[in-house]
Amino acid sequence: MNFIAMLRLELLRLRVRPFGWVLLALGIGWLGWNFTLMVGSFLASQVQRAGLPDSPGYVDLVAVPLLGALAQLAFLVVPLLGMSTLAGERRNGTLAVLLASGVPASRIVLGKYAALVLWLLVWLALTLAMPLSLAHATSPDWGKLAAATLGLFLMLASLSAIAVAASAFTSHPALAAVVGLLVGLGLWTLNLGAQRAGIDDGAINAIAMSTHVQNLLRGLVSSTDLLWFVLVIAACLALATRRIATDRERG
Amino acid sequence: MTVAAANPVLQLDHVGRRRAGRMVVDEVTLELGAGQVLGLLGVNGAGKSTTLAMIVGALQPDMGTIRIGGKDLTEEPIATRQLVGWLPERAPVWPELTVAEHLATHGRLRGLRGTALRAAGDAALAQAGMTELRQRLAGALSQGQRQRLCLACALLHRPALLVLDEPANGLDPVHAAALKQTIRTLAQGGTAVILSTHLLAEATAVCDHVAILHEGRLRHVGAIAAGDQAALERTFFEIAMHGANPAARAA
Repeated sequence: MNFIAMLRLELLRLRVRPFGWVLLALGIGWLGWNFTLMVGSFLASQVQRAGLPDSPGYVDLVAVPLLGALAQLAFLVVPLLGMSTLAGERRNGTLAVLLASGVPASRIVLGKYAALVLWLLVWLALTLAMPLSLAHATSPDWGKLAAATLGLFLMLASLSAIAVAASAFTSHPALAAVVGLLVGLGLWTLNLGAQRAGIDDGAINAIAMSTHVQNLLRGLVSSTDLLWFVLVIAACLALATRRIATDRERG
Repeated sequence: MTVAAANPVLQLDHVGRRRAGRMVVDEVTLELGAGQVLGLLGVNGAGKSTTLAMIVGALQPDMGTIRIGGKDLTEEPIATRQLVGWLPERAPVWPELTVAEHLATHGRLRGLRGTALRAAGDAALAQAGMTELRQRLAGALSQGQRQRLCLACALLHRPALLVLDEPANGLDPVHAAALKQTIRTLAQGGTAVILSTHLLAEATAVCDHVAILHEGRLRHVGAIAAGDQAALERTFFEIAMHGANPAARAA
């Protein structure tokens, strides 16, 4: 039950803080603008595409690029939303109160992580509502859309875990945001050099986040990609839990 | 050195804590029974807050054992912490939550639900004189009001041991008097109370025993006669200036 109490606390804090709403509104506004441009370009190219066999459809030209835009935004928004989860508690002195209340470190971390992911799910749902609002007028590839949505969800969940872990190691939320941003970008661009050199396989590509997200955005769901996200999330949450547990030892 | 207690609620046995290679709390042994009020005195840096943080489980002792209600804090950390209410020195709050939301959160973390949670919240608010501030944001409270809010949160689950770290910080004379009355009422109801303070007058007014810490070591423990501030002052200043209590120096 401690987990539910922590989840409720964090959701309540996210709900009443203007910062989360401002980020959500700015993000949705920017994505809405992108969506309008994408729909315009989709309509403009309709005649050209009609003559092509296997031409890209609504999902390829509107829905997936929109989710791609959300992914770009997520690198900045997720660390900003997650920076205060644990660093803010430590800075406030409330982390010690939570630990003294008998809440295990794992429940504190999981509760805060789950709240952040739920908040980002709202963001993902609102973004997805844009292409879905016009889906009745087209014949979308539902399978590809589902895979891309799963990819984005897993990416947001991974970035959230990174943000929570970064937040667990400091009492300065701004520092946590910078570390979260750098680690997220680092994981994404890890294989940039290899890709430019034309290397499509190898360990560096397997480690990079971009490889796994791009597969899902293309509609390819593989257990390797899913396992990568599960491992990153589990590792980050385990690190965060360990760090919070050592707060009692370090003081 | 111990406070004699037939059924001790709190037992510290050679408890110590090291920081930066120095013992900030050194082999403190102490017992406190139900209904007793112990004042923990000492100059700044004497180790009072560290001792209290170890008692509530926010810090882990490097040596010794802490038992609360007969249970070992290390072996049964969750069950033991449920017996303790803690008012930390800085009275940390979540500024974006209201007073009522604080109580609801603390209650849920302590396992209270539904009508029991509401009833406990109302009683704690009344006890802390905060009923009319129920809907006020914690960030808008004065330091004294935050102290009272944290006291209400600490009392919510009717703890067997109440730990107060500088409880009179920021309180006006009216609420300071009310706090003393609350402590006496709680003690009469069987709650063991341990409070740290710089104010010798406060100690003589509400405590039936005092313990004086100096450089991490317990130098004096004993009962005090109500209102006998002069004797306490002599002992305190002797220890603060010479590091030993008058009886030990005479011997």
